Amino acid sequence: MKKRLWQIFGPVIVAFLALLILLFAPLNYSHFSVKDEKKAAVALNSITFKNQQLKKQALSDKKTRYVPFFGSSEWERMDQFHPSVLAIKYHRNYRPFLLGRRGTQSLTQYFAMQTILPELKNKQAVFVISPQWFVKKGVDPGEFNYYFSNLQGTEWLDSNTNSRADRYAADRLLKLQGEDKKGILTNIYKRVAEGKSLTKQEKWEIYLEKVVLEHEDQLFSRFQVNDNYDRRILPKTKYLPRQFSYRNLTRSANRVAARQTTNNRFGILNSFYSGRIKPFGLKRLKGAQRNISYVQSTEYSDFQLVLNEFAKLKVNVMFVIPPVNRKWAAYTGLDLNNYQEAVKKIKYQLKSQSFNNVVDLSKDGGKPYFMQDTIHLGWCGWIAFDKKVNPFLSHPTKAPKYKINNNFLSKKWQRLKPNNANLKEFK
Amino acid sequence: MVNFFGNAIPNLQPYSDPQYFVYLLIAVMPLAIGLYYGKRFKIYETIFSIVFIVLMFTNDKLGQGVALIAYIIWQLLVVGVYHQYRIRKNNSLIFYLATFLSIVPLSIVKIMPTVDHGAQSIIGFLGISYLTFRAVGMIMEMRDGVQKDFHWWPFLRFMVFMPTISSGPIDRYRRFEKDYDHVPDRDKYVTMVGKAVQYIFLGFLYKFILAYFLGTIMLPEAKQMAISAGKGLSWPLLYVMYTYGFDLFFDFAGYSLFAVAISYLMGIETPMNFKQPFKSKNLKEFWNRWHISLSFWFRDFVFMRMVFVMKKRRLFKKSTTYSSVAYVLNMLLMGFWHGVTWYYIAYGLFHGLGLMINDWWLRFKRKHLKWLKPNWFTQGIAIFLTFHVVMISFLLFSGFLNVLWFVKK
Repeated sequence: MKKRLWQIFGPVIVAFLALLILLFAPLNYSHFSVKDEKKAAVALNSITFKNQQLKKQALSDKKTRYVPFFGSSEWERMDQFHPSVLAIKYHRNYRPFLLGRRGTQSLTQYFAMQTILPELKNKQAVFVISPQWFVKKGVDPGEFNYYFSNLQGTEWLDSNTNSRADRYAADRLLKLQGEDKKGILTNIYKRVAEGKSLTKQEKWEIYLEKVVLEHEDQLFSRFQVNDNYDRRILPKTKYLPRQFSYRNLTRSANRVAARQTTNNRFGILNSFYSGRIKPFGLKRLKGAQRNISYVQSTEYSDFQLVLNEFAKLKVNVMFVIPPVNRKWAAYTGLDLNNYQEAVKKIKYQLKSQSFNNVVDLSKDGGKPYFMQDTIHLGWCGWIAFDKKVNPFLSHPTKAPKYKINNNFLSKKWQRLKPNNANLKEFK
Repeated sequence: MVNFFGNAIPNLQPYSDPQYFVYLLIAVMPLAIGLYYGKRFKIYETIFSIVFIVLMFTNDKLGQGVALIAYIIWQLLVVGVYHQYRIRKNNSLIFYLATFLSIVPLSIVKIMPTVDHGAQSIIGFLGISYLTFRAVGMIMEMRDGVQKDFHWWPFLRFMVFMPTISSGPIDRYRRFEKDYDHVPDRDKYVTMVGKAVQYIFLGFLYKFILAYFLGTIMLPEAKQMAISAGKGLSWPLLYVMYTYGFDLFFDFAGYSLFAVAISYLMGIETPMNFKQPFKSKNLKEFWNRWHISLSFWFRDFVFMRMVFVMKKRRLFKKSTTYSSVAYVLNMLLMGFWHGVTWYYIAYGLFHGLGLMINDWWLRFKRKHLKWLKPNWFTQGIAIFLTFHVVMISFLLFSGFLNVLWFVKK
């Protein structure tokens, strides 16, 4: 009888032990090939975005220097002047690792960064900060929850220091997750938001959860990288001039763009116009953006979290502020003065804290072939982007000494309509 | 897992995640040890059952818990009173009345959402259908005279048997009681434990791996693709059909395996619910392999009775008409049981007609196609055809066609 019991439970015990070892042993199960890294850097899917191990490995690769390019939907505009294509074609000493899709705003980027903190430290980065993020309530809860993962949450808790920024972040997180969300971690976020320090048991719980989630990530992330690299990036390199010069590039960009923007009067890519605008009805969009304002928004404080993190990690980061398509803005009634006000506010927040590498393209939306569609850079826009980003990355320097001002986390700053007088309060 | 005794009372839905098994298996351990030594700890078992049932209805499901208690009292009354009556008399009208009263709560729960724009009835709770099957089965067997005695405690025990309370399999009272009163000998019990372990692991594969992959990862994408492909027949629609069909099977079969396995650990041989349904060679065989406890319940308590009543009244001339009519009505009723929506009813009708045609074909083959001997080729065709008829019916059942055709976006 004993033998029979062993036959039944032996395999169960073995399986259970194997599972425990698999989940809790301090081992790293994954190794990715060079090709995997290349593919992940331009995959732009939510899996790569949320994944940890692939990013960690690529960003600490000794042979290829991957630089994180934080942003949102602009990375999806993969014409041949896209930074990833240029970097490959002209054998730059860096490769962009694209992080961001539609809806990945400051807070999402902040939490996603938590999974790669050591890999960011003392390195360089590029951050495209779109004024479109700065709508009144900031990031949409649905979008935020789509990109948020418990892995990010545990990594964040693990490095939490009970600072004002941490409390703010916990509070935002809880509000965005909503009331229905229950679980061990939710209770811990609540404690952080209330400014309580964590107990030994809670720290232990976080640690266990983190180890399990990290291993899950290592074991299962390899299946999910797409083929953007072979399909949308590599083939484009052959359309670029062999000799690198901005004159050649610009000439080529003008030629290509002229051919691809023939079915509308906004200078928008034909396929975008016929696929996204025409089916919706151009008439319906006339004046549609009249009441939009980006000046008052929770996003300003969410963005401050990102700045805090960059300062803490001494990342030398270049910020790029993109424009909107001027013809399109005129048609849809978007107030460009208001846009500039938001840009001013963003720039103040950056520069007053010594984030001095700011590329302001926000006034260039009327230049020919600068925008690929309504709000995204393309052709000449990408070239302008490259003119600033390339020298910055090709000759790396150390980060400036950042001076963090946590007043940017306040409601007062979120609601401020900036003028020269009231900006001084945020010195 | 770590925070079990944390701030909030946990809510545990049966077999919903691997953690549930940790709690359940720890709690069931004393029972299993008892059974191994030839003893059934009835008090412990009662407490164990109550705790796990209560945990199903905590927090925002409290209303459902109250509904369950009210429902149980109702059924005890209906069945108990009918039993008292049946000892003395046997009038058909009273039998029909008792059956009707027993079905009333379920009917309200099923009809309510259709009448009231999808609102869920407050007397509903998870598992009401399965409890109703058990109670109605009891009344019918009393009517037949095979169920002579009635004791409220064993009846209650049977009704709310924890492993199968929420979604079956649907056991029969007398079979259940025999198992309950009788402790299996050690050799048999160890065999049952071996099977239980095997079923739990197979269930893990079915429910937590295959059904997760099919239902959570593939299906939403498939539906999205099908919606963009338009209302007509399209490749993505076929993709939805297969994904949904397999998801349905692996999810439900996985669940049933868990329920059977836990019953085995408790020394009760709850019947199996699935027997490799996709290798059926015809629709009739399919229903002997798919959701077996339900289709057998319908066979015994609906189909057979209908045929019997119709034959007694000599409604039709041809003997085969009886089964044809009964098939359609039987399946139609099963469709209604799933819910009062056009697609469930269409699903029932589809299977009713399918079984009718199937019957007709079998007779035709016997009479006129004697030369047709079964071989791997004909059987292959039969399996392929049956499988696809079933898959099409599941696509109907999924309600996705309703979304695709009628829901405005």
